[in-house]
Amino acid sequence: MAVNSLAAYNTYGGPKSIPFVPYADNGGSVVAIAGDDYVLVASDTRLSSGFSIYTREQSKLFRLSDTTVLGCSGCWCDTLTLARILEARLQMYLHEHNKPMSTPAVAQMLCTMLYYKRFFPYYVSNVLAGLDEEGKGCVYSYDPIGYCQQTKFKASGSSGALLQPLLDNQIGYQNMENVTPEPICMEKAMAILKDTFISAAERDIYTGDSIFINIITKDGIQEEKFTLRRD
Amino acid sequence: MASVVSGSLCIPARLWQNGPSASCLFNLSDGLADQNTYFAQRSQAPITTGTSVLGITFEGGVAIAADILGSYGSLARFRNCPRIMHVNDNIILGAGGDYADYQYLKDVIEQKILEEECLDDGFSIKPKALHCWLTRVMYNRRSKFDPFWNNFIVGGLQDDEPFLGTVDKLGTAYVDRHIATGYGAYMALPLMREEVERNPIMTKDAAQKLLVKCLEVLYYRDSRSFPKVKLIFDCLMSLQSLLSTCSFSFSPYCQLFYLFLISATI
Amino acid sequence: MSIMSYNGGAVLAMKGKNCVAIAADKRFGIQAQTLALDFQKIFEMGPHLFIGLPGLATDTQTVHQRLRFRLNLYELKENRHIHPKTFAAMVSNLLYERRFGPYFVEPIVAGLDPKTFEPFICSMDLIGCPNMPEDFIVAGTCTEQLYGMCEALWEPNLEPDDLFETISQALINAVDRDAISGWGAVVHIIEKDKITTKTLKTRMD
Repeated sequence: MAVNSLAAYNTYGGPKSIPFVPYADNGGSVVAIAGDDYVLVASDTRLSSGFSIYTREQSKLFRLSDTTVLGCSGCWCDTLTLARILEARLQMYLHEHNKPMSTPAVAQMLCTMLYYKRFFPYYVSNVLAGLDEEGKGCVYSYDPIGYCQQTKFKASGSSGALLQPLLDNQIGYQNMENVTPEPICMEKAMAILKDTFISAAERDIYTGDSIFINIITKDGIQEEKFTLRRD
Repeated sequence: MASVVSGSLCIPARLWQNGPSASCLFNLSDGLADQNTYFAQRSQAPITTGTSVLGITFEGGVAIAADILGSYGSLARFRNCPRIMHVNDNIILGAGGDYADYQYLKDVIEQKILEEECLDDGFSIKPKALHCWLTRVMYNRRSKFDPFWNNFIVGGLQDDEPFLGTVDKLGTAYVDRHIATGYGAYMALPLMREEVERNPIMTKDAAQKLLVKCLEVLYYRDSRSFPKVKLIFDCLMSLQSLLSTCSFSFSPYCQLFYLFLISATI
Repeated sequence: MSIMSYNGGAVLAMKGKNCVAIAADKRFGIQAQTLALDFQKIFEMGPHLFIGLPGLATDTQTVHQRLRFRLNLYELKENRHIHPKTFAAMVSNLLYERRFGPYFVEPIVAGLDPKTFEPFICSMDLIGCPNMPEDFIVAGTCTEQLYGMCEALWEPNLEPDDLFETISQALINAVDRDAISGWGAVVHIIEKDKITTKTLKTRMD
């Protein structure tokens, strides 16, 4: 090979420099809760790296259509790119089919898009929330290389491990005795959602400042803001 | 590789085993190009660098400030390297990190602006568009493992509203009312956040005062900084002087602090 | 893989109103393979004093035995029960003696003052740096999950029954999200005049 044949021309390359790392962990948490006729999806607004906070007001939610919202956390540059490509492909779908893509279809497309970059992945934890064709709430969660799972509730990002057991308990009725599992009403879901973020902000330095909550119903998407601790 | 293995089995290694084989025809330039396809050994470290860049929005405009030192490692090598550029009548751009990468991108941007002027359709690129474009450029290069080793701050007026955004070498981009890169993120940003919290609607003069204070603090503690700075304003008000030199003496520890004020008007 | 998560396990303690609770899971395993469902991680060290030792199982038992030894000597010499604070200092000393070749345990001490019956909790890292907060302490392989649960469920001045419910829910839901903790749990509620020990059934997968 040409490389080996030119080895004689190799000289000492100087002091070793730290290799370039194309990824960063910019933190952030996303929580989504699905009900029978609604979905709540929320993200914190802190964008950080290491011990510095880049900005305190960066929403990590991307409105993909009137019924679908994507929440991302992880490497922010990959998030930006992924969200842009996703938005472009949804636009193409809209023009081709003259109707917006349904949430399950977006979920499947996101899965393929992530796996397409299997060997240089988007370093992003995605949570896709929306209403399906029947108007029922659904939540899809992903790993960075395209594993997809549909659930009723999901916490992901830097506080994923802190929040998921709480959701299992409070929304999934795990380890509850003498309680009949019944669907969560939106008010209760909203209260639990805020509580989870308050708890996460206590212990996770990458989560804080405030949260943006998107409430997706058949009437459209409403946005709400809620402040968290800023330290 | 095979010769290394045979060497370990006590068979004497071939003479000049690392060299090109004698029976080959060599095309060195092709070979070198080839080498790059096998090894991603590219700009893996910045060479001549600029330190922090500061940006702030105020009532009706934005300001970006940075010193004009080009450091060569710890050596203060080039003392006149302005790294804030006046992109067009409503965009200013500041850069930290590798100066060569900045100069290259500056040329590309200037060419873009020139081509736009040639169209003569009365339209010119707006800050948001440039910020977005820069994000894609930076992300593309990082995805090729050949990053532009810079932190950029883009400022300007987007439909008469102040805009301030930043991009780093990975393509990490965000928009905020006040941004500082490098050591500025640790030393200047807290000062800026404190001041903005106390005084949310800032005048141009207050913004200038704040930036000068931040540059002063950075000059005290950032060893890669310099007391000559460039500060560009982009605001609604028409400013008289395009270039003015002010001097501030702010402590017994240092002599004079020169501040070149270059004001861009629209 | 860290040596701290070789065997798996979780312990937490909480303060309540005139009471404290300490709870742990019962799993013993080697990495992902579960070997026993009755492994003791919490040990009674006095009438109102417990210690939980999550971490490397062999060190859990060694540290427990060495502490028992030192505590016996203390009680013989002083002819009185140890104060939880003193006991925490004893644990801390024991661990710091092995500063450069530590025991891989993160102890949690919970108890009541022998005279005033003031609640006391204390957690330590593996070289004995103590931490005595006002609310709860967690240790083991699922600390993140435990912190998330405790931050949401705990409140000040819980009565013993409520404290039991809180600590149990916190522990069980946390270990259910950890592959190497769980398989049953045990809770001790320490009050002035009684100690209640309850074992909990949890999911076994």
